[in-house]
Amino acid sequence: MLRTVKKSGISIRYKILMLLTLIPLLTLSIYLVLAVQIFEKDKVAYVFDSSSNVSGAMASQSKAQFNSLLSEVKPIFQDFLTNGDFTGSSNSIFNGDGSLEGLVAFQYRGTSKKFERMAFLEKTPRSVEGIVLGLEKTLPDYFSELEKSPRIVKAPYRDDRLFIFEKVQDSKESNVTVFMIIVRLSELSEMYKAESSQKLYLITQEGTILFGPLNTLGLGIQTLFPAHFLDKTTTKVAQGAEAVTDQAGVDRLVSYSRAGFGDLLVVSSVDKKQALGAVDILIRKSLMFFGVLISITIIISLLASNSLTSSLTSLFHATKKVSEGDFNIRVAVNSKDEIGALADNFNLMAAEVSRLLDETAQKVRMESELQTAKTVQETLFPETQAKIGPLSIAGFYEPASECGGDWWHYCQAGRKILLWIGDATGHGAPAALITSAAKSASTIIERLNITPAQALELLNKSIYDVSKGRIMMTFFLAAYDPETKVLSYANASHEAPFLIKKGSSPLKKKDLIPLNEVNNPRLGQDRETKYKQTTINLDPEDMVLFYTDGIAEIQNKMKMSWGERDFLKAVVSANKDYPTAQEFVARLTQMIQDHRQGEILIDDVTFFVVKNDLNV
Amino acid sequence: MSKFDVKMDKAGESLKVNLAGSIDEDADFTQLSLAGASKIEIEMSGLKSINSCGIREWIKWLSTVPASKISFNQCPKVIVDQINMVDGFLPANAKVESFFVPYYNDDSGAEKNVLFRYGTEFSDSAVMPPSDVKDDDGNPMEMDVIESKYFKFIKK
Repeated sequence: MLRTVKKSGISIRYKILMLLTLIPLLTLSIYLVLAVQIFEKDKVAYVFDSSSNVSGAMASQSKAQFNSLLSEVKPIFQDFLTNGDFTGSSNSIFNGDGSLEGLVAFQYRGTSKKFERMAFLEKTPRSVEGIVLGLEKTLPDYFSELEKSPRIVKAPYRDDRLFIFEKVQDSKESNVTVFMIIVRLSELSEMYKAESSQKLYLITQEGTILFGPLNTLGLGIQTLFPAHFLDKTTTKVAQGAEAVTDQAGVDRLVSYSRAGFGDLLVVSSVDKKQALGAVDILIRKSLMFFGVLISITIIISLLASNSLTSSLTSLFHATKKVSEGDFNIRVAVNSKDEIGALADNFNLMAAEVSRLLDETAQKVRMESELQTAKTVQETLFPETQAKIGPLSIAGFYEPASECGGDWWHYCQAGRKILLWIGDATGHGAPAALITSAAKSASTIIERLNITPAQALELLNKSIYDVSKGRIMMTFFLAAYDPETKVLSYANASHEAPFLIKKGSSPLKKKDLIPLNEVNNPRLGQDRETKYKQTTINLDPEDMVLFYTDGIAEIQNKMKMSWGERDFLKAVVSANKDYPTAQEFVARLTQMIQDHRQGEILIDDVTFFVVKNDLNV
Repeated sequence: MSKFDVKMDKAGESLKVNLAGSIDEDADFTQLSLAGASKIEIEMSGLKSINSCGIREWIKWLSTVPASKISFNQCPKVIVDQINMVDGFLPANAKVESFFVPYYNDDSGAEKNVLFRYGTEFSDSAVMPPSDVKDDDGNPMEMDVIESKYFKFIKK
């Protein structure tokens, strides 16, 4: 019983599909991650560079504006230091600059140990007085800062007005004068207020925002995002950049540049997410592109896997059919690749198996028929041992295949005992059919009370009519008359039997007397052949050995034929003491088996002996 | 089984045929035309065996030239056995010019085929075997046949 193989696990089609899809998907994903990382780093570097440039440019512009202002007011400073007050020339300069709103000169007084207002200029009457009063509490701090730095910039009112404090002292440091310049830098302030993704701040070293976007003036920059660059360790760094996360958790790219005016710094801050918006676009577009690519890959993979697996599926179903015993199944695969070759080989194999099965079935049928024919043919042969009148008969017969072309027989016809032996051309079933015809004819002939020569003539006609000359038969027919002790015989080209007469000494080869006085054409050679016969006396204890030529052709395992010499030696040896017919056959049979060693026969082997027993 | 091999050499009306190998059901005589030859010499020393099917084809082959004079030369034992046994194997228009007779020495196991030639070792009615056949060591050898059977064709 053949076992049907069941498909289990994931179909090879899906495996191929997964393979063809996952490989590009994985590859593209890795590529995307790497590309995004590199692009992001590059973009961050670009943003830092760009921000630094902007902050640097703003710092330069701010510095230029401040220095210009300072250059403008320095004659006023000099006027005060020279005259102890602002003269007309100072007023003229002051009023000529629209951005200046006030200018106050403070001098340190040892008596009061504090800076006192000495003189001032103002555009709006009484405005300076109000400002000084307003800054009454903070001014001492500003003056203290001036001890460390000769110039500081403040924006105490959180508007576009800046208060620039410039400390001036003579070489002996006996007179210290501080000028407080109140200036409204609207244009500069507007530049810092400009709405863009990049926010600009003008800050002091402490982080106080002097100019910047709306609602940030006066705030510490630290309140917006960490400003590590304000640490003391980095105070001397003119320009730099860092990535920070603000209090709202937003990542920012911050760059800064020192303005070169007092302790002012210009800070640029960009929302990292906004700055890297291009990266998001890149990712989005890449994902779209990858999606399209993967979709195309899947479609192609589906088509390819379908093409591949349809052939394999056909083969699978075909092999399943074969396992169920259907060898007539064929696979139609048109591809010219390995699958196609596999399908072709499968078809060849199935066809060959189918043919072999048919042959096997036919062989089994033929063997069955041959076995039947063998059974039928066995009925054509007599008992291997018999006693008819004075004659003891013993024989041996073995066909080379199921059916043989040899035939032997004995019977009593009237008072005569007929002894038949023949050998049809070849062996096997065709020869066996001729022996069957011979047997059938003999059944009738033996009732006719005719001579051996006449019997062979009838037998010849029978064989000829059956075989139409295609198969012939050698034949030897003898008729023994117990009363006259005469053995008449006719030979149709058969091996001449040997007459063995009992002598006083052991039998020798030369004592074998071939019964070859007459010979005739084989049966079946010519329908009209006339046969001759002759007679001999068969005395008591005489023995006649009948045989076919297959006996000399018996081969051993070395494929060496027994040969006539060894056959005759065996005959002589088996008959050295002139045994009974049965004993002689037993001995010769044993000698044959000793030589043969179980090897198959190449021709049918038949022999029998007839002995005229002494005691009859 | 050695393959059947035939060489034919025709000179005028004389035809020399050299046979070798085994004559069996596969031996094809249909291509070996003997027609037109009045004298045919068949040399057979190379023949190894012949079976019953081969005998049928042999007789059919030689029967195609009933008027020719056929001579069998150097017939091996397998052929002589058939000549003796099968009526018609040696056609009426054929004659054995020479044949081999096997000799052997039972003690040494030595074997030898001695060529008997017409007019020398045999005649139309008698056999004059060599008086003294010896093997290579000088041991006497005896005929390895039953004479009354083997020389039967001579005494017909």
